[in-house]
Amino acid sequence: MIHNSLFIKSFALCCSDTELLSAFNLLSHEVDKTLLPAAMRRRTSLSTKMAITAATLACEQAKVETKSLPSVFASLGGEIQVTDALCRLLPDDNELLSPTQFHNSVHNTTAGYWSILNQCQAPTTAIAAADDTFAMGLIEAWSQLQQSEQTEQLLVCYDEIWPQYLAAPIGKIPFACALVLSTQAEGSIANISLPKLSESVNKDRLNPEWVNLAASAPAANVIPLLMALHTKSNHPIPLNSGIPTWITALL
Amino acid sequence: MPKKSALTTPVAITAMSSLSVCGLGNQALYQSLIKHETELAPLELFNVPFKNYVGEIKTPLISIKQALNDYASRNSQVALTALNCPEGKVREQLEAAKIKYGTQRIGIIIGTSTSGLYETESAYASLLQHDKMPQDFDFVKQHAYQATARFLQLELGLQGICFAISTACSSGAKAIAAGQKLINNDLCDAVLVGGVDTLCRLTLRGFNSLELVSDKPCRPMDKDRNGISIGEAAGLLLLEKCHANNESNLKILAVGESSDAYHMSTPHPKGEGAQLAMQNALHAAGLKSSDIDYLNLHATATKINDQVESTAVETVFSDSVACSGTKGITGHTLGAAGALETIIASLSLQQQFISGTVGLQETNSDCHCQVIKTPQFNQPLTIAMSNSFGFGGNNASVIIGL
Repeated sequence: MIHNSLFIKSFALCCSDTELLSAFNLLSHEVDKTLLPAAMRRRTSLSTKMAITAATLACEQAKVETKSLPSVFASLGGEIQVTDALCRLLPDDNELLSPTQFHNSVHNTTAGYWSILNQCQAPTTAIAAADDTFAMGLIEAWSQLQQSEQTEQLLVCYDEIWPQYLAAPIGKIPFACALVLSTQAEGSIANISLPKLSESVNKDRLNPEWVNLAASAPAANVIPLLMALHTKSNHPIPLNSGIPTWITALL
Repeated sequence: MPKKSALTTPVAITAMSSLSVCGLGNQALYQSLIKHETELAPLELFNVPFKNYVGEIKTPLISIKQALNDYASRNSQVALTALNCPEGKVREQLEAAKIKYGTQRIGIIIGTSTSGLYETESAYASLLQHDKMPQDFDFVKQHAYQATARFLQLELGLQGICFAISTACSSGAKAIAAGQKLINNDLCDAVLVGGVDTLCRLTLRGFNSLELVSDKPCRPMDKDRNGISIGEAAGLLLLEKCHANNESNLKILAVGESSDAYHMSTPHPKGEGAQLAMQNALHAAGLKSSDIDYLNLHATATKINDQVESTAVETVFSDSVACSGTKGITGHTLGAAGALETIIASLSLQQQFISGTVGLQETNSDCHCQVIKTPQFNQPLTIAMSNSFGFGGNNASVIIGL
């Protein structure tokens, strides 16, 4: 059964700059390291800790069973700090890489730790799509949910601090958001339409504060959707700040 | 082919193309499979401080056109060379699909683990020396995971859904899974899916740090196997809705996915995740294990991976399925492996042939799988499966039907 709408059961944000987010009327949480057992805490990056903090909070709010919950992890840079540290060693042929750092450099590192932490053997995926990373994450999560026997799905969109010589200003602000999505209306906070490409988004009319933030924090592309949950506006909601623009709307 | 109990609707493979150490095109790949010899050789592209054998592409690569030069990387060049290969007809069919469906209705999902890391490594040498990145370095367009997918989208003039999946060695298989879902959800009419991965220092030296790289051509499933040989490849498949015009094409019946939830780089000791991926694939396709005629194993040739996979295969299939591993020929092409080996399994169905397992002389005494050593011809094959398992305990099994 294919649905043309999707329900949001909960969302949670993890960003250390709470003032920044209060400008958008959004509540943010600090990284909660205690969510991870000590060994995992030592091995995981800020990226993974932020994503897991947001995901845990969103799942608690939605009261979903994480052990059987499929998930999509969407991030432009993923484990960028781990990759950066390894790349700095490579020009010297004699430098030895740390095996743990190496397996922690894959894009699905957060997905892997999330599945271990929650003893979840359900499918998990890790995607990237530049400016469209959140939009594509939402589409992939939506697409998986329609073809699954499960009624709930976790979507986490995150990027941590990046070295500024890579692609400034991307990665100036670490930001993670998790949403629990559902095919069922029960216990949901909103119902959204299937994302589509819009021909008519006028870039000048986009909220400039958001456009600025999204340039530094790719995952902050989620903000217009979260703000619409507050305002209940039925205007088209941009899912990325570039052109072409993917949009959704509250139903 | 669609069974009554199938949860997933099959999609047609209307074109496919590959580039690997075996050469350009599926015919070159097939010739290597029937020749039954390793194509692996010591690495030439760059230096690493240890003995190795790799599956390095020696085919001349097509240059990226000037207008898309920001996207230039070995990874994108490997993808473009496979895309443009006339024999595979991927580009020809995509141009036809654009007219049939429109540019917004054709998606692109590319699995990769390396993306343009090879170029970034050179940029870091410059960063460390001169304290800044080279002028022409563009991290998002050359290296970030979606770089090759986005390059292909621009090269083809498409406008729809476009992203990368990067789940280590299951990436290519997961891209096929995502493509099938997009079509079945009517989000796309056609999706270019596949895997593209290229040799680079980080993966070679990283796997070496885990003591998983063999100093000889790898020997999948052999009792004396001692590690992997890394390879590079592009495997591209054009998926479309099934209709009367593509009735005779091969089909993706279903892809089963799962997580080990066990360890970042060591598989679950009983192969629970691997079993679950194969069982989920069978369940989604509405098939029984006895319906699978050939299984292309993940078989990377590390001690633990092959042992765990054979345990999982025995649990799902008993000893009833003919299986083989092809990484002794191609090397382990990491993020491309799931796509390249889905193409190998597809060639098996088309040619009614089972590839041998190059490098295998004798399996472990506790391995009861029917591992095929030498190529078998004139095999009545209708349905095949291809396994891919990656770091993070990320698993996918693809089922292809004639």
